[in-house]
Amino acid sequence: MEKIIYAVLAVSEDKQAAASCLINGIKGFFGASLYPVFYNDLAAAVSEMVVPGDCIRKEMALAYASVISELNRTATLLPMRFGSVVESDEEVSRLLANHYNAFANNLNEVNGKVEFGLKLLWDYEKGCDRIRANLNYCESDAGCYFSKATASTVYLLEKIKQHRLEDALLKHVESLVDEISQHLALVAPTCKFKKLVTNNIILDAAFLVDESKSKIFIEAIEMLTERHNDLHFLLTGPWPPYSFTEITVA
Amino acid sequence: MAPIYLRNTKGEVMQESVIDQTKDITILELLDRVLNKGVVITGDIVISVADIDLVYLGVKLLLTSVETMQQRQLTVVKENQKNL
Repeated sequence: MEKIIYAVLAVSEDKQAAASCLINGIKGFFGASLYPVFYNDLAAAVSEMVVPGDCIRKEMALAYASVISELNRTATLLPMRFGSVVESDEEVSRLLANHYNAFANNLNEVNGKVEFGLKLLWDYEKGCDRIRANLNYCESDAGCYFSKATASTVYLLEKIKQHRLEDALLKHVESLVDEISQHLALVAPTCKFKKLVTNNIILDAAFLVDESKSKIFIEAIEMLTERHNDLHFLLTGPWPPYSFTEITVA
Repeated sequence: MAPIYLRNTKGEVMQESVIDQTKDITILELLDRVLNKGVVITGDIVISVADIDLVYLGVKLLLTSVETMQQRQLTVVKENQKNL
């Protein structure tokens, strides 16, 4: 039967028995028991794939995440992306062996750390109005660029304005990224940013934080909120290190 | 499921509607991670398990929740800090 892989765990070889206990005590999809597949100091947490692939639902993705979260309470791990199914335990073992260094290095990077997510939201229209107000609009007059105002030059002028606004918007977000990175440099030096995800979500960030510094990190975010009354801060976590798992197995 | 913290310096009153929304948003955040992040297996070794359109449909619906947060002027959910 096909095997679904939930996560790859760091397990020192003298603790394999304890890891087996941990993994065996957790139920996967539709009650299927988890079990470990070991390779050196790595263990993949797997279960049999008891559900046909064509009846995947949101709830299954959440159940998958729940298993990963449960494992992460006591072990350092790399989550697998939902839908990681291979043919056999031998295939799982081969996967661990062939990519041992990548798994070991990545596990080392996330050891003792948790992920926090931060989204910055704003009112797009109001935000754009503020940015527009700070732009120098000498070009509001078509004569700045064109010898005469026609339908096409007016259209081009609008495009120029739009481009300048987008440029200023990006610069604004980049300055926020700089500010946040500097502010959190000591507590969360490893971070990732996605800018301008939607009109309302101007920043989507992930931070890798030492578990013992979680409280300090949250306090540091609170300080940021006080500086930015125009933004809403959506902070989530702690999560397993999903965003800092950077392995593609071919 | 991971706790969630919403910050806005304008107010500190927890509202029931906000609590409901935080559940949706936490699910969104979770699905975003499970579906888009983590170790990826490609090629012959992986068996295609699913058409996950249904899951993505859920994500899109939940994304709407995040977008509407701004309009509803969310307040601080201070109590959740105690869960950490």
